[in-house]
Amino acid sequence: MNQSEHTSKQFDIELEDLRSRVLQMGGLVESQIMTAMEALNIGSEDSVNRVLENEKQVNQCEKDIDDACIHLVARRQPAASDLRLIMGISKVVTDLERIGDEADKIARRARAIYARGVLNIPQTIDIPSTSQKAVLMLRRVLDAMARLDAPEATKIIADDKLIDIEFSAIMRQLITYMMEDPRTITTSLDIVWIAKAIERVGDHSKNIAEQVIYIAMGTDIRHRSDALTS
Amino acid sequence: MNIEIDINKKKKPTPTVQLKICQFHFYYGAFHALKNINMDIYKNHVTAFIGPSGCGKSTLLRTLNRMYSLYPEQRAEGQLLLEGKNILEASVDVNELRSRVGMVFQKPTPFPMSIYDNIAFGVRLHERLSRGLMDERVEWALQRAALWDEVKDKLNQSGMSLSGGQQQRLCIARGIAVKPDILLLDEPTSALDPISTLRIEELISDLKKDFTIVIVTHNMQQAARISDFTAYMYLGEVVEFGETDSIFVQPKKKETEDYITGRFG
Amino acid sequence: MDLHKKRKLVNRIALMLSLGAMAFGLFWLIWILATIVKLGVSGIHLSVFTQMTPPPGSAGGLANAIWGSVTMVGLATLLGTPIGILAGVYLAEYGQNTVLGHMTRFINDILLSAPSIVVGLFVYTAVVLPIGHFSGFAGILALAILVVPVVIRTTENILRLVPNSLREAASALGAPKWVMITQVTIRASQAGILTGILLAVARITGETAPLLFTALSNQFWSTNLNQPMANLPVTIYRFAMSPFSDWQELAWAAVLLITVGVLALNIVARSLFKQKIVS
Repeated sequence: MNQSEHTSKQFDIELEDLRSRVLQMGGLVESQIMTAMEALNIGSEDSVNRVLENEKQVNQCEKDIDDACIHLVARRQPAASDLRLIMGISKVVTDLERIGDEADKIARRARAIYARGVLNIPQTIDIPSTSQKAVLMLRRVLDAMARLDAPEATKIIADDKLIDIEFSAIMRQLITYMMEDPRTITTSLDIVWIAKAIERVGDHSKNIAEQVIYIAMGTDIRHRSDALTS
Repeated sequence: MNIEIDINKKKKPTPTVQLKICQFHFYYGAFHALKNINMDIYKNHVTAFIGPSGCGKSTLLRTLNRMYSLYPEQRAEGQLLLEGKNILEASVDVNELRSRVGMVFQKPTPFPMSIYDNIAFGVRLHERLSRGLMDERVEWALQRAALWDEVKDKLNQSGMSLSGGQQQRLCIARGIAVKPDILLLDEPTSALDPISTLRIEELISDLKKDFTIVIVTHNMQQAARISDFTAYMYLGEVVEFGETDSIFVQPKKKETEDYITGRFG
Repeated sequence: MDLHKKRKLVNRIALMLSLGAMAFGLFWLIWILATIVKLGVSGIHLSVFTQMTPPPGSAGGLANAIWGSVTMVGLATLLGTPIGILAGVYLAEYGQNTVLGHMTRFINDILLSAPSIVVGLFVYTAVVLPIGHFSGFAGILALAILVVPVVIRTTENILRLVPNSLREAASALGAPKWVMITQVTIRASQAGILTGILLAVARITGETAPLLFTALSNQFWSTNLNQPMANLPVTIYRFAMSPFSDWQELAWAAVLLITVGVLALNIVARSLFKQKIVS
């Protein structure tokens, strides 16, 4: 990122404000995922409610930041890195909002599972560790976003592979469970949804990482990232 | 043949070079105003020169039709190859060169004569046309400059009676009436209101079908809107030259980035 | 607050002083004009335009003097104007920063401020003495010498007012310099140049000194430019100084004629110039 300041200090302030709002939204989304996982792990109804409540705030953030982007484009006619930052942010907030949706899904499924009674949860599945990886990935990508660190973003994109692999493993495991004991099918399907949601968090984080690279370097690596990382 | 075209459809065809600037230097007396400029001006494209005041962009533009030779203390070195021929050579007839490289200035400069004669003035310098052909040429030029409908009933009125935007389009019409290959525009809209500016910009995009256009502008958004290629100049040097799309989204040099994002200085 | 009051006071004092100065100037001017009109009008009859300057004591007019003045001023203008315009074009378009240009401009300035009697004496020594007699030609020459610097100066100044961008625009179309000058810059400043010519005419119309030494005067109708020629200024000079009251009356009539003529020229020149500024 360019370190020098704009001749228009007001523009600097507005851009800085935009960036910090995105990072705030990222923090909010991150805590949403963690709260949702808490709801799944300990079956806290309170956590579920908190996720559902905060989801509205996440949606509002997306609208506000997008609005700010449009106003900046209209008023400042940004170019080059400024333009890429604003366009990138506009896409990043979409991914962040989707991550918020995933948190919402996880929380709702968790509530459904506990409503049915905890007994039938297939305990051996490593959902917590995968979710931790996803949350860590999100945290790292927000960090990379804050510093516009393209090399770090490239690494993060590679890490998404691991989550995908773990997701496949979880799927295989769950299929085995369901075949062994059909009574677990309902809960297992809930877990499948949750696992899918976690996997999606990884995907959205990867998208954000791609935007970070675009903002920082101007190279669009979308739909090429497989080639880049393997 | 067809298949080949289909494959390359996404890629733009490589434009033809109309004017090649090679190792070009320019001096105002002892002051070295332009240093080693190398650039290609492409046929039927709009090339914009941008940069802060005093960077030499107007100077460079004014060498392309040897406008500087009006002023004895100004001197050029290097090569300006117009379709392969160096126009800096002493043997080149400046007036003939200017019939091939036209110019429009910052402030509208209608001559103190009728609208008709303003257009015919340049044509008469280079061609002997019958009255009928001249009428046609005047109409053609005014049509092309999107001014015909506004002035067709008052061709005998003074060019000075038009509004600023109209005067500037009159000057563009006057420039293209000579049918040059290249049209040089030196900040053509800096004295105009926004609507007149947009009209001129629209006109420029239309004119590039027939002419090669080089424009100097202070307005970066204008360069972004209308040009195909952009050269960013600073302190008499071309810092970066390339397709406008990449200059304004992803400039390669930090200096360019700083200038177009408003961080300059 | 004090500061502003003080400024207002200073403003008022300055304004009053300027108004006073203006009133002082206008007072004399109006007095002069009033005198001329009062004394001149009574002398204006049809005979002024039809009869020759009379000997003392008999009736007459100013016909030969009017004719002489018109002829000599007209021919002097015809002679001096082209020279003046061409030299002015040279100074403005070609000789801006050349040594010759600077020299010409300097000499022209001297000529412009030279007393007209010097010019008269010069023509007297250079033309009248060798030929041996006063003549209309000599008068025309002297007046032309007065016309030239005025026209040079105004032409140059007016041409310099033409924006350089107009010259560049003509050059950019491939116009050679002479085409640019004749079709664009001179055309752009023609009203101004015409104004300069009219001012020069106004100036020489009232000149006495150069004619006194060159054309002198003539009591009779004469179209022969090789002979002394009657003219208004010298007639005024001679008649006004005379002790005869009918001559004095004719002198006042001539003064009125010249004043009205010069005034008319000035008004035309001004309106021409204004037109130019407006367009």
